[in-house]
Amino acid sequence: MSTDSLRRRDRAALAARTLLAVLGGYAFCWGVIALCAAGTFPLGMEFHDGETLGSILALLLYPAAFLWAFAARSIWRVGAVLVGGGALMAAAATLIQSALT
Amino acid sequence: MFQSFRHAASWVHTWFGLVLGYVLMACFFFGALSVFDREIDRWAIPASRFAPQPMPSFDQVLRPVFESMQPNQASLDQARTLVDGPLPMHWDTPKAWTASATHRDPVLNLEARWETPNARVPDDVVGLRTINPRSGKALADDQLKVGSQFFYPLHHNLTLEYSITANGRDLGKWIVGCAGLVMLVALISGVAMHRKVFREFFTFRPGKNTQRSVLDLHNLTGVLALPFHFFFAFTGLLIVAGSYFPVTDTQLEPLHELHEKMEAQETGLPHERAGVAAALASVDAMVSEAQRRWAAKGMAGEVGALRLTHVGDANGYVSIFRAGTDRIASVSEGIHFQASTGQVLREDPPQTTVGGIADFLVGLHLQHFRHWLLRGFYVLGGLMGAACIATGFIFFVEKRKKQHARAGAQGCRVVDALAVTTVTGMLVATLSILLANRLLPEALPASWLPRDRLEICSFWTGWALAMLHAFLRSGAVTLGKINPAWREQCWAVAVMAIAAVLLNWITTGDHLLRTIGAGYWPVAGMDLSLLVAAGLAMVAARKLRQRERGQKATGADRARAPAGAREAVNV
Repeated sequence: MSTDSLRRRDRAALAARTLLAVLGGYAFCWGVIALCAAGTFPLGMEFHDGETLGSILALLLYPAAFLWAFAARSIWRVGAVLVGGGALMAAAATLIQSALT
Repeated sequence: MFQSFRHAASWVHTWFGLVLGYVLMACFFFGALSVFDREIDRWAIPASRFAPQPMPSFDQVLRPVFESMQPNQASLDQARTLVDGPLPMHWDTPKAWTASATHRDPVLNLEARWETPNARVPDDVVGLRTINPRSGKALADDQLKVGSQFFYPLHHNLTLEYSITANGRDLGKWIVGCAGLVMLVALISGVAMHRKVFREFFTFRPGKNTQRSVLDLHNLTGVLALPFHFFFAFTGLLIVAGSYFPVTDTQLEPLHELHEKMEAQETGLPHERAGVAAALASVDAMVSEAQRRWAAKGMAGEVGALRLTHVGDANGYVSIFRAGTDRIASVSEGIHFQASTGQVLREDPPQTTVGGIADFLVGLHLQHFRHWLLRGFYVLGGLMGAACIATGFIFFVEKRKKQHARAGAQGCRVVDALAVTTVTGMLVATLSILLANRLLPEALPASWLPRDRLEICSFWTGWALAMLHAFLRSGAVTLGKINPAWREQCWAVAVMAIAAVLLNWITTGDHLLRTIGAGYWPVAGMDLSLLVAAGLAMVAARKLRQRERGQKATGADRARAPAGAREAVNV
């Protein structure tokens, strides 16, 4: 398959998807780890265990999210899920934290 | 924008693989060398060529050494960037002393830590020392442990420790992190790219044209070791996940604080100093008590690590950890003693489920356990990873070379020259540091750079020269031919590897007959590996010569096509 002949119009889209894959994926992973660490703490899990569990999940989800950012039809949906989802999870973690401390 | 998932996967695999593959080559190759880092250290530091030692007496050997330690210059330089006023002239009240040993180390690594006073962000300065545990004598500070202090950090942070944030100093760590992520992505997309998965994965046609057989080899090395590649990229990221995602040090810092206070309460291990001076009881007695308790649990063992926290304070405590020589999870079964009385404060409880899983994953990556056959397979896996990436580059070039030659485009030429740099050039660099290590005299003139700096300089100089050579000779690629730098650098590798073995013999008297005869495998194994590498490089060089000759006969007619259609070819 020829991937060499992508048109210039596509370059902007590719750049956007690359940014979304790297930074959006990072934001989503951050949210997963934060929510895992804060969410499992009141359930009695050891704090660093919660963090580690979050890291394991996040590192498995990151490559999947990365590929999805290129494969998905709608770039807006990718952005909404990765960045929006990450922000929501991080916000939830902060809420849990402020209830506990 | 892509017609299908397969097209997207293919694009991601090709282009991200191309950009970060160069970094991944270094991670896999130097990671493979790090499996035998302690053995490479023995080759590089002849004074340390003796049998591994257990942890020596703390009271007699370690304590006087720890008491004489001061922060290292590099650590002080780092601290200066975080403190506005002057730093203390003499550092007393250490925060912690740590000694760690493995079943492969004849020498012992000691670390002392002090809190940096008045730092803008909380930070520590460290002092490091390597001693001969039989005498307590320190190894010279400028003796570079080429394996554990250079190849090992190279594989996880490229030894690029530039400051990009206030408390992070690891540009290289982030580059390697991106490369690790791309490795995971490349493995998934690599599988997804194929239509006839099984048939393509178990096909190898070495007799076919270069492009075909290179792709077969790329699939073979990628798939055969797929679990290995995935596991190492994944666990590599997991080990440093806390610094890639510093969630608990930033956003969740208050919760982290709360946890630490609760933990200190629960464990009885003081979180802070009391501010009251106290003497230190016999640590040797604590060690024998710890060993007695391990034996009572049916897991008698040696001490892997020993740490004294809050040195000289009434809240001080000694933690003794068991060496993980006989299990996968690295160091565990910690027992903690009150430093002033020697009373047991706490025995670590059995591992939690998540902690156990994490220790297992991390332990498999770090391999503190004793299993030489598995260690050998690790090297094989790492080299297969490197071969997989290298064949990826060559396939990229082979697929486009003729087309680029017709269009007069330079893309292939650059990719090919970079591939030479990362494949044979990396070997040249590795051999450069080994040669420099044997060629530099024991005592250097005072006006020279320290020995370790010179050795590291020779590594990067060797690599830079190899790169220069690869680019200077890359003209052939624009004619659709093989870059002769591949062959020439193979010869360089062969000559340098043999020279390294000879220099080891001349400078230390340890030739192969003697080391094999004495069964001293760290150095014998290193020399044998160098000779095997030399042999393989010679075979490769001869094969390349044959191919170049063959090309001259058939490929001469494919002269440069008129340039101008450049834009159509390159993305």
